[in-house]
Amino acid sequence: MKILKLRKDRLDFFASVVQQFGEVHAPVEVDGGYAFRRLSRWSEARLNYPRTILPPKKYFLPQRETLFRFVPEKGYVPSAEGLDTRIILFGMHACDIYSLNILDMVFGGAYPDPYYQARRKHIVIIGIDCIPDKHCFCRSMRADFVDHGFDLFFYDIGDYYLTMVGTALGDDMVLATGPLFEQPAEADVDEYKRRSSNKRAAFQLEVEIRDLPEIFEMEYQSGIWDELGEKCLSCGSCSMVCPTCYCYDVADSADLGTRDGARMRIWDSCLFSTHALVAGGENFRHSRASRIKFRFYHKQRGFVAEYGRPSCVGCGRCVAACPVKIDIVEVLERLRGVQHAVSH
Amino acid sequence: MSKPTAGIFGLTGCAGDQLVILNCEDQLLDLVALIDIRDFLMAGSANDTGCDLDIAFVEGAVMSKRDEQALRRVRARARTLVAIGTCAVWGGVAATDESAPRDAWLEEVYGPTGADYDSLPARALHEVVQVDYQITGCPIEKDEFVSAVANLLNGDAPLLPQYAVCVECKFRECGCLLTERGEVCCGPMTVAGCNARCPALRIPCVGCRGPAADANFASATAMFTEGGVSPQDVARKLRTFAPQGVQQ
Repeated sequence: MKILKLRKDRLDFFASVVQQFGEVHAPVEVDGGYAFRRLSRWSEARLNYPRTILPPKKYFLPQRETLFRFVPEKGYVPSAEGLDTRIILFGMHACDIYSLNILDMVFGGAYPDPYYQARRKHIVIIGIDCIPDKHCFCRSMRADFVDHGFDLFFYDIGDYYLTMVGTALGDDMVLATGPLFEQPAEADVDEYKRRSSNKRAAFQLEVEIRDLPEIFEMEYQSGIWDELGEKCLSCGSCSMVCPTCYCYDVADSADLGTRDGARMRIWDSCLFSTHALVAGGENFRHSRASRIKFRFYHKQRGFVAEYGRPSCVGCGRCVAACPVKIDIVEVLERLRGVQHAVSH
Repeated sequence: MSKPTAGIFGLTGCAGDQLVILNCEDQLLDLVALIDIRDFLMAGSANDTGCDLDIAFVEGAVMSKRDEQALRRVRARARTLVAIGTCAVWGGVAATDESAPRDAWLEEVYGPTGADYDSLPARALHEVVQVDYQITGCPIEKDEFVSAVANLLNGDAPLLPQYAVCVECKFRECGCLLTERGEVCCGPMTVAGCNARCPALRIPCVGCRGPAADANFASATAMFTEGGVSPQDVARKLRTFAPQGVQQ
């Protein structure tokens, strides 16, 4: 990997140059929180942010999208709207990039999703390093560092950003700026290592994920699930803000007065009572407890069996978003803790 | 093929849902081209008050014997009956306090003549007649009404969200009034479809659309009381628009 450095006070110049590669989107402040939005001015960007309300998943799998328009007995026309828009996501955190690498397995595996893949191909990713806050446990989930999935990645090393060049496109952006990027010196390498180890030490949360799927297996009947079911509001906030929740619903929207229409895709959640409802009225996960249990199992056990790792990246969004303070770190700690009464 | 016939009716309510239909300016001409609206007192005086109807839309709660008779008459005329608005679907604001001493209040307000007034505790339409579909909202959303008509004309059931307002609030990336500001926002218990109109304007959801599917009122009440709101105030808040939904 090519590694360079960029003077921090030249970042705005760099941003002005990369505009020629696409629309620049970055975290901006919204009502006390942060959200990725298209910038109208570079000064709106807030690169020192804890986490955005929605993850950048929304750019690859939009909240609502039209898959195709149909005319019965004539056929259908796939929607191409926005699929080839060049967007530059400036300032993605490692956990969010990691989550895209996870979604790549889902939407590029047995059932390739052309909509996701088209967007993934056209969206440029510029990562930026971050300092963990009280909700972050990405290190425990092995998602605090990414070695691929980005075009460029910036690490704060004081007066400079150490810059990892991840792709040929990233390299093109570097070259387009002329002599802006420099070779890092030994002192820069030391500073990177120093900050990297400081970051490791800054994590306030730790989760042991080794043998977690097996513990989930053993605790299938745990009372924890009923307890969580009583607490959970089924509001779906945790799924909406999750960078790796990829469930969606598909429904047809009819045009008034014809049988023509559009096939729509919209985010779904396994916490919704309709998620496992099938024709005939049977609901495989009728109780709230069974639904929240399913969510945890899919993230921490089912996904491991299928893809070799948990789908959770430890971004902390679900913890911050839950109105009744259901906290995945706490749940995992309790599951791991010794809780069964000894019977004689 | 002749156009399907329709009627639009109001029982006890504010007529806001009927007004929403009239306010669908962009679709009104298409709507009247597709359906033959025969009976719609709010929009015209030349109505056929006895014809059979393919679709009847009824707003308002049943709050009098007169309402009840009117609803039964509409039911007898209509192949498909659709309740529109929170009052018709859930009883609405008028149903908030079912234990109200109605007789005493009638006397207090109307004096000795109060006893003769035709006034009953508010009921939702489904408590009186069979209702085929329900479009909730206070008032209903234009989009939901128009897409429901499109579905009904195709013989399909209207497709309406059953999940909570939080979902649409998150779609819009609004700051959370519950977790960020500790406000009494009813979004998690309230059914979506409004595109989180109020929370997006930093106004806590008051639950005007009635409950989301499987809303967890016990946990929500605990959440609000932990935040310092009295259980009575929480109960009152949650019961304002859809007391029946809270009892479920």
